Amino acid sequence: MKRLLLFAFLFNIVLAVNAQKYMTKNGYIGFFSHTPLEDIKGDNNQVAGVLDISTGEMVFQALIKSFHFDRALMEEHFNENYMESDKFPKSLFKGKITNLSSVDFSKPGTYDVTVEGDLTIHDVTNKISTKGTIEVVNGGLNASSKFKITPEDYKINIPGIVRDKIDKTLEVTVNMKYTPLASK
Amino acid sequence: MKFQVKVALFVVLAIAISGILYALYMFNMKHPDTASAKPDFVITSTILQKEFEDNEKEASAKFINKILEVTGIINSITPADSNHLNISLKTGSDLSSVICTFSPRPDASKFYTGEEITLRGECSGFLMDVLLNNCSIISERK
Repeated sequence: MKRLLLFAFLFNIVLAVNAQKYMTKNGYIGFFSHTPLEDIKGDNNQVAGVLDISTGEMVFQALIKSFHFDRALMEEHFNENYMESDKFPKSLFKGKITNLSSVDFSKPGTYDVTVEGDLTIHDVTNKISTKGTIEVVNGGLNASSKFKITPEDYKINIPGIVRDKIDKTLEVTVNMKYTPLASK
Repeated sequence: MKFQVKVALFVVLAIAISGILYALYMFNMKHPDTASAKPDFVITSTILQKEFEDNEKEASAKFINKILEVTGIINSITPADSNHLNISLKTGSDLSSVICTFSPRPDASKFYTGEEITLRGECSGFLMDVLLNNCSIISERK
């Protein structure tokens, strides 16, 4: 009986450990800016992310060159003139859900969360804080958020002729569909 | 009007119009169609991933922004956001694959896990996996 209890206890721990980390390599981050000439829209469907639901810590990593634009020239300017993606190929976010207790990961539903952390773009790191949602679904978690960033904060230089015609801020959309990380 | 003036006007106008046409052409230029473009490298997913894992810097210089024709076995098929489809190909590593993004999204039901396919795409670099964008299917072997 003792051994059975011990076994049950250990088994529980293993299960709990298994379900604590969620991951995706097919996450989405997009940004959008409206200009009088046309809308600027970049999509990246290759975002890697890990979410630890025991601590609320989350990490996102994306390649700048994975942002895709409809116009080839816009993509070239984005990479070469603005983001300098040969020099700074990756972008990183490391943060934490600050109101983790308000999410019941065992009960399907949509929960409002606040996330705080460090966002690194163009080799410049800034603290950001944003609201988002976590949806607990069968077999995974969907996390999404929308927030604004200012390219100037990341030392991204926008030439004078263009600067006055576009918004000072870009709208960033994040959509992640996590699945439990199977531990081996 | 003098003949010379007419010629000069015509030349200026022709230059202006061709300038505008060229600017419009550049502005509207689409991405290269990987289905018909000549690949810079023909490679398997296993070798491609290994080159990045062994020496990311060297492989980045060699492959990024190049068109790669990659053959591999489908590991997973994930419909992604905004009309994209991601297909990941198996490699020699359990933790790392070659992730290929298709846009616009092809019919996901055409593919299945374990099938060998050959595709062409532009290499964006290496995160945890080798990432290819703007992909087209070249051939499938069931």
